[in-house]
Amino acid sequence: MKFISVAIKDFKELIRDRRGLFMILLFPMFFMIIFGIVYGNMGQTNETYNLAVVNLDEGAKMPLTNEKVNFGDNLTEIFRDVEYEDSDVKLFNVIDTSESSANKLIQLKEADVMIVIPKNFSQTTVDKMEDSITAQTTGTTSSYNNSNNDTLKLIISGDSSSMGFGVSQVVLIKIIDEYQDNLVVNIQSQASGSSVEPLKLFEGDVESVSGTESFSQFDFLAPGMMLFAILLLATTVAASLTKEVEKGTLARLRISKMRSFDMLFGALIPWSVVAAIQVLILLTVSLIMGFNWQGGLNSILLAMFIGVIGGVGSIALGMIIASFAKNDTQAFNLGIMVVVPTSFVVGAFFQLPLVVIGEIMGRSFQIYDVLPWTHILNALKSVLIYGNGLSAITYDLAWSAVLTTIIFIVGMVLFSRFRLSAEN
Amino acid sequence: MVNEFIIEANNLFKSFGDFVAVDNLNLKIKKGEVFGFLGPNGAGKTTSIKMMVGLLRPTGGQILVDGKDIANADRLKIGICPQDIVLWESLTCKESLKFMGEMYEVPDDQLETRVESLLEDLILMDKANTLVSNLSGGMKRRLNLAMALIHSPEIVVLDEPSEGLDPQSRRVLWNFIRSLRDKEGKTVILTTHLMDEADGLSDRIAIIDHGKLLRLDTPKNLKKEFGEGDIVEIHLADSKMNQEVISKLKTMETIDSVTEVDGKINIRTLNAVGKLPGIMSNVKDMNTEIADLSLHPNTLEDVFIELTGTSLRE
Repeated sequence: MKFISVAIKDFKELIRDRRGLFMILLFPMFFMIIFGIVYGNMGQTNETYNLAVVNLDEGAKMPLTNEKVNFGDNLTEIFRDVEYEDSDVKLFNVIDTSESSANKLIQLKEADVMIVIPKNFSQTTVDKMEDSITAQTTGTTSSYNNSNNDTLKLIISGDSSSMGFGVSQVVLIKIIDEYQDNLVVNIQSQASGSSVEPLKLFEGDVESVSGTESFSQFDFLAPGMMLFAILLLATTVAASLTKEVEKGTLARLRISKMRSFDMLFGALIPWSVVAAIQVLILLTVSLIMGFNWQGGLNSILLAMFIGVIGGVGSIALGMIIASFAKNDTQAFNLGIMVVVPTSFVVGAFFQLPLVVIGEIMGRSFQIYDVLPWTHILNALKSVLIYGNGLSAITYDLAWSAVLTTIIFIVGMVLFSRFRLSAEN
Repeated sequence: MVNEFIIEANNLFKSFGDFVAVDNLNLKIKKGEVFGFLGPNGAGKTTSIKMMVGLLRPTGGQILVDGKDIANADRLKIGICPQDIVLWESLTCKESLKFMGEMYEVPDDQLETRVESLLEDLILMDKANTLVSNLSGGMKRRLNLAMALIHSPEIVVLDEPSEGLDPQSRRVLWNFIRSLRDKEGKTVILTTHLMDEADGLSDRIAIIDHGKLLRLDTPKNLKKEFGEGDIVEIHLADSKMNQEVISKLKTMETIDSVTEVDGKINIRTLNAVGKLPGIMSNVKDMNTEIADLSLHPNTLEDVFIELTGTSLRE
């Protein structure tokens, strides 16, 4: 297991070069602090977001009372009425529209977010109520129920990189959560017989959503800064590998029994740890600077895991740069020339115009999606801004893993060919 | 049948664009000998060495290591101590040796013993746990050598190992090189600029220049070929007279050769002391004065200069 020896050697070199380590970890931190100061208060004005509602709900009759209800309409009214916390500014400007129109509105950036309420929304809710009541009155579990076990799906979509969608998504999820809570309470009270009143759910009782007062532009920049720090690793790795070439230590290793895999996989381990630590440090700094982090300890671990995948991609990029650079200064400069434009392209600082090149698994695939860091950024945003879990980022994680593997293989082939084989 | 030669270079050729670095080099290195590689700067020594250890691909020709083509040779057979100090500054001496041993797949039980033994032999035991960055130049040189030996190779290639060493460290190194040959039976290939080093250590010496092999023999035979005996060096007060004096001295039958080296007249002859009165008399006849005169036995350096000339190489 020579790669473990290489990893230990690299790790020792990394931690003993305190000045270098200090620079690697602190340089992105300064960026985060500056961005926090500059953008920390931006976007905190109570802006009303455009919400395209596609309400397909056909309504249903309530059990016991036979009253006709339409929860879709009800929910739409809530969206229309909801206001910022401690403010009378409406959160949403609701646009009732069809699904195709809603998609166009999103593409034209005339709507920040769209939500699709399915046609069986009310019926499914009513069926669940009936099942629950039957189960309560007969004392049995619902074996002959009306409803199936499918969960109602309210599809929220929009441009995942825009701040408007970010804020709207969080708020919509909170409203829907409250909707569900109210629904459960009503089902239970119906079943226990303590309430004979007709169900009157969601009648404007959600007036404001807590937490909505404090979103700033910095919240949407912080994951981008984390990604920038991860990408910067490529320059450090490239400089470090080129140093081995320049100092002749690589030639010494080349005539040993070490293989390219040992050298490069060994280097991968300590640098991946650095990537994970960087995410942790930057998250801490961004929280101090006022980042509205959603989620618990799991989201930190998940963000670190995402950081490691991004780090592996950066290390592979570093290998590619080191395959061509003649000395560590050239590697560093070349690295900056590659990393900075890449950061912009993947949307670390702001979103570039949409350039859709196809559709994969029902999702639009943009030209920027060929880079793993685009998916890394999406995943970091999803976890840290929206508090999503692993299931929500599977698509992006899978893409980033596949693309990172491709870049790593390319890096390994190039480095082996130009740096680890006999010179010509 | 056991092969007498451990390295064979057959028509070895290397060019970089139009520049020919090694020009059809043919040589055979015997098992268990110290083989000296001499040549001025840019003569093609390091290029030849790099090809012999597999770091550089030849443009033409073949290299056999213990009868096998270099591409298929066992890497454990060769250890190279490069001209530059090639070490990881942030590792300690012990860590560096242990790491290299692991890269050569030296078994753990042997590795510990070898590390201790090399540190002991190269007088680095006190610095075993010192970071390389904190070592003196001489210590780094010795560690550089130890790194080439951790896997106990049969062939040890030392590219100018004495560069920058003080006389004490040089002696430690020379004794160590002798012990590698005498006690462990290793083949040592040595490139050096120091003629006394090559003369004192090498069993055979190859002199190369412009990528070509000029001579390959024992130091004794090389010195004999270019004149046994002594060198008389005369510095005339008026160096413009050098060529006239050289012409006059060439008429003396008992003198082997007379050349001008660095503005001085260089006379090679047997029993120079006995011939000095005759030489002095001839110079006096030319009505010129001798500013300085020295006499020393013929050295390898004289042979080297004779073969490669005195023009500066870069």
